[in-house]
Amino acid sequence: MTNAPEGKIPVVLVANRGEIAVRIVAAARRIGASPVLAASAADADSLAARLADRVIIIGPAQAGKSYLRPEYVAEAAVHAGADVVHAGYGFLSEQPELAELLEAQNIAFAGPRPETLRAVGDKTSARRVAVAAGVPVAVATEIDDPSFAAALGDALGYPLLIKAVHGGGGRGIRLVHNSAELAELAPQAAAEAQAAFGNGALYLERFYPAARHVEVQVFGDGEGGVQVFGDRDCSVQRRHQKLIEECPAPGLSKARRLVLHDASRALVKALRYRGAGTVEFLVDTESDDVVFLEMNARIQVEHPVTEEAFGIDLVAAQLRLALGLDPQLPDVPAVPSVVAIEVRINAEDPDNDFRPNPGLITHVDWPRGPGIRVDTHVESGYRFPPFYDSLMAKLIVRACSRTAAVEALRSAADAVRIEGVKTTLPLHDFVLSHPDFIRGGVSTTWFAPAWEHRNSLIKEVAQ
Amino acid sequence: MTTPSTPSWQDILDLVTQLDDGSFASATVEFRDVSVRVSRSADATAPAAPSALAPQVPQPTATVVAPPAATAVTTVPVVAAASPVAPVSTGTLVTAPIIGVFYRSPTPGAAPFVEPGATVTADTTIGIIEVMKLMNPVSAGSAGFLKEFLVADNAQIEFGQPLAVIIEDTSS
Repeated sequence: MTNAPEGKIPVVLVANRGEIAVRIVAAARRIGASPVLAASAADADSLAARLADRVIIIGPAQAGKSYLRPEYVAEAAVHAGADVVHAGYGFLSEQPELAELLEAQNIAFAGPRPETLRAVGDKTSARRVAVAAGVPVAVATEIDDPSFAAALGDALGYPLLIKAVHGGGGRGIRLVHNSAELAELAPQAAAEAQAAFGNGALYLERFYPAARHVEVQVFGDGEGGVQVFGDRDCSVQRRHQKLIEECPAPGLSKARRLVLHDASRALVKALRYRGAGTVEFLVDTESDDVVFLEMNARIQVEHPVTEEAFGIDLVAAQLRLALGLDPQLPDVPAVPSVVAIEVRINAEDPDNDFRPNPGLITHVDWPRGPGIRVDTHVESGYRFPPFYDSLMAKLIVRACSRTAAVEALRSAADAVRIEGVKTTLPLHDFVLSHPDFIRGGVSTTWFAPAWEHRNSLIKEVAQ
Repeated sequence: MTTPSTPSWQDILDLVTQLDDGSFASATVEFRDVSVRVSRSADATAPAAPSALAPQVPQPTATVVAPPAATAVTTVPVVAAASPVAPVSTGTLVTAPIIGVFYRSPTPGAAPFVEPGATVTADTTIGIIEVMKLMNPVSAGSAGFLKEFLVADNAQIEFGQPLAVIIEDTSS
């Protein structure tokens, strides 16, 4: 139980939807708080709405008029008499505006301070903070005049990426393999950046064609104190969307893991970071390079693998810390003694270019058994809405070794029954049976060609 | 919309007009599964008109459910039980376009924008909703007279919550 002022039961406003809203409601219950859900009209009857003590409708189905409006969420927090707001991931979870509005109302935000959100929210400033904290970053050079680009590129080495200094969302990024290509593409990139971002400034960055995505789970006390909760490998990706995540990252040498964890600790300390966060890195498979990607100032979708591997509740810890309580997180070793792996089950049709597949889910059966966890908002009879992302469920399995975890997850995924909509389960069956994944340590560029190959084999068989 | 056995709202309006032109004091008309009673006087023996009428009329109208409604404006049949059969009006709910606090006056202590019974146009401001210190005027949305407010002054309201009922002016 918590000790809120006057012994009142603290109220947690859950400002999100889907599986993470269900997850936050559960964490609120765990700490003895009363969960209130801020929902769009489309989610008024969702599982999270039924599990919460109260639902406040903040706007219509469109996220732009509901979940993405900081003033509506702050208003709902006032109506609810909330002590703390948890915004989950996505939507407003990293928006300083919400954190500031809540601050003005004396309501806690389960996340970092607004200035931290600003410092890590923009790529350029995040990189600057990382460099200052001694975190390894990709070698990069800013280019003022595109006609000198080739000379700078030669000094950096190829392949490399041309990026817009003021860019974002992957726009205007070009991959070049030699100085001739760079000389040709740099002026184009500058013109495009000028048109798109109002500024033609470019920089060149070393490109790693076969790197893994490894991230470190951190928890800061807001005063410079840091706890590290191991690492996760999220390299199985399709178009930069993570599909499968695991804790710990397999096959990392002691030295590399130390670099990742120490760098993350330094960054959190430098930021006096408050609450749960994730420091993302590229870990090259062809060299010893490790480079900082970005810091995510929120709870991640894939947080359950860390929770299962270490036996902790990160969301409850976020709420406790925001309420001024001890987050009750233990100090843990760098590598957990068990392995946890997660697959994301999306309402997408993998045999139709992963087209979103919303609709009525007529029947659902989740697997049961030792070490199995399902984070979901989906039940039989649920009409999966077309307005939001396609995540239906996260299936997490914990076992004594990676081999055992892969086997257990394959069998658990096979036992999932979802009728009415197409899901990404066939993809998981493919990956969890693939020798490359079973061996461990695939790079982020592994999935796309492997999946292509699988599809061409299926076509051949069909002919 | 009209099938041989189920009357539309327009069918009922036509019926009421016919009865009103005649010399009936009261009448009961039964369709297959819809029964309509109309009376020139407040007839205590008949069930209240809204409960006899509204739920059974298969019209574009949504049953009025407690908040929140999914759309911004919901048209519902509202029939005053005690009123003469004509004129018949359609009640329209004004629902909250945003979450916030509803105020009936421009400033504390000032006169309300409108009182129940007042004539309104679609653009008439009937109140304001404050969201994080920002004032958002709420207009009537349709012309007629404002029958009643469904929320108190100063009330915390959610998106889609019914705020007031406008009896639309159908004479024009």
